[in-house]
Amino acid sequence: MEEFERFLDDGGMVEPGDDMPDAYRHEVFRFIEFHANSEMMGGLTERDWIPKAPGLRLKQIFLAKTQDEIGHAHLLYMVAADMGMKTRTEMLEDLYEGRSRFHNVFHYQAVTWADQIAIAFLVDAAALASQKSVFANNTYGPYKRVLKRIVAEEGFHMRHGEEMLLRLTGGTPVQRQMFQEALDRWWWPSVQLFGPDSPADDPLIRWKIKTETNQGLRHAYVQKYVPLLHSYGFEIPDADLRFEDGEWHMGEIDWEPLKATMRNGGPDSRRRIETAANNWTDTAWVRESLEMAVANRASAAKTSAVA
Amino acid sequence: MTVGTYRAEAAADLDSMAEEATFAALRSVDDPEYPGLSILDLGLVEDVAVQGAAATIGLIPTFSGCPALHMIADDVVAAVEGRPEIDLCRVEWLPSPVWSTDRLTDLGRQRLAREYTVVIRSRDGSLRCPVCGSSAVTDQSLAGPSRCRSIAWCDDCRNPVEVMR
Repeated sequence: MEEFERFLDDGGMVEPGDDMPDAYRHEVFRFIEFHANSEMMGGLTERDWIPKAPGLRLKQIFLAKTQDEIGHAHLLYMVAADMGMKTRTEMLEDLYEGRSRFHNVFHYQAVTWADQIAIAFLVDAAALASQKSVFANNTYGPYKRVLKRIVAEEGFHMRHGEEMLLRLTGGTPVQRQMFQEALDRWWWPSVQLFGPDSPADDPLIRWKIKTETNQGLRHAYVQKYVPLLHSYGFEIPDADLRFEDGEWHMGEIDWEPLKATMRNGGPDSRRRIETAANNWTDTAWVRESLEMAVANRASAAKTSAVA
Repeated sequence: MTVGTYRAEAAADLDSMAEEATFAALRSVDDPEYPGLSILDLGLVEDVAVQGAAATIGLIPTFSGCPALHMIADDVVAAVEGRPEIDLCRVEWLPSPVWSTDRLTDLGRQRLAREYTVVIRSRDGSLRCPVCGSSAVTDQSLAGPSRCRSIAWCDDCRNPVEVMR
């Protein structure tokens, strides 16, 4: 392990055929599976809003975002499955049967269109900051290559989020109030998306699966988004938020909601997992037809070879 | 070199400062999904017409319904009007010709392969892995993260590969 860590410290990259310590393989796999599950659940969330998005252009944006997220999930599941710990079907079944984890933000309900904007503006920004930190120094080659495209595409989503927010903040008092209420619901989940504070000797950082601690990323995020939201005239739902020594400091974080989502016991976890699972069973006929078509073609080829 | 870019650059030789400024501006506009890849190298620019200080840019989408179109148009207007030689820029999305991967410049292809692990299918339908160069690349899914890309897998270096179509 020491030799392996020296190799990583010297900027070494790990590729699929290489020898790697089991603990490293396990951590990288878990990390990618969590990311893939989150893209999958995120895509299904975006999809819910295609029919409800106001106007053709916004429907187009939500269609494209849904396709992005599901495509990202597909690429990530391929990389994860190749690590030999679980097949793609096993990962999906674990997700749909509630045995896997995914990002906390997909365990809450989006109540109004303004929630969807808060998600696009706040949650996507937090996810992007966290993905950039994972991309920066990542030591697992196939994951780093996929992340490069994901980061570019999430940057594109961020621009949509900003555009939608500007439209709403320039709107009527009712629209501004809608966003304030959405912000009240989404602020805490957004800052918790980075995860609990990282331990002092986090193997994820030691093995360069990610670069920065969760609390470091959270702090940088707060420095950027508090003044931005204030400048649009919104209030952050944190009574203890204060500006001291040139920095914003948050009030104490209640970690219980995050822990609940990690047990799939968040406010909307059950409905979301059930919807995703139904989606999987409802589309079983497509997979079965494809398997049948492949089998038929193989047996036809065999017959003609015999003839 | 693609038809659109070729025609466009030939027009740039016609010497007006305003045209040169317009091209310099277009070169600085990247596709929103591929930072570092200019819309000229992606082959989106079909027509550039500059009259006095007014520019009209004819663009073609990689596929109709692409959600980035208004963003690209906004970026083009901002970049072109940002030049002192131009005071008005208009963007038109042209219904024809239809975009194809033939419109990518060599630099565009290189950037896509090297930076984004995205490749173009060769004329005989084969694929070459942008990571290891192997031709053992098999199609996985027609649908990728975008309508303009499908997903393949390299059996040799075991990396997912995206195919621009």
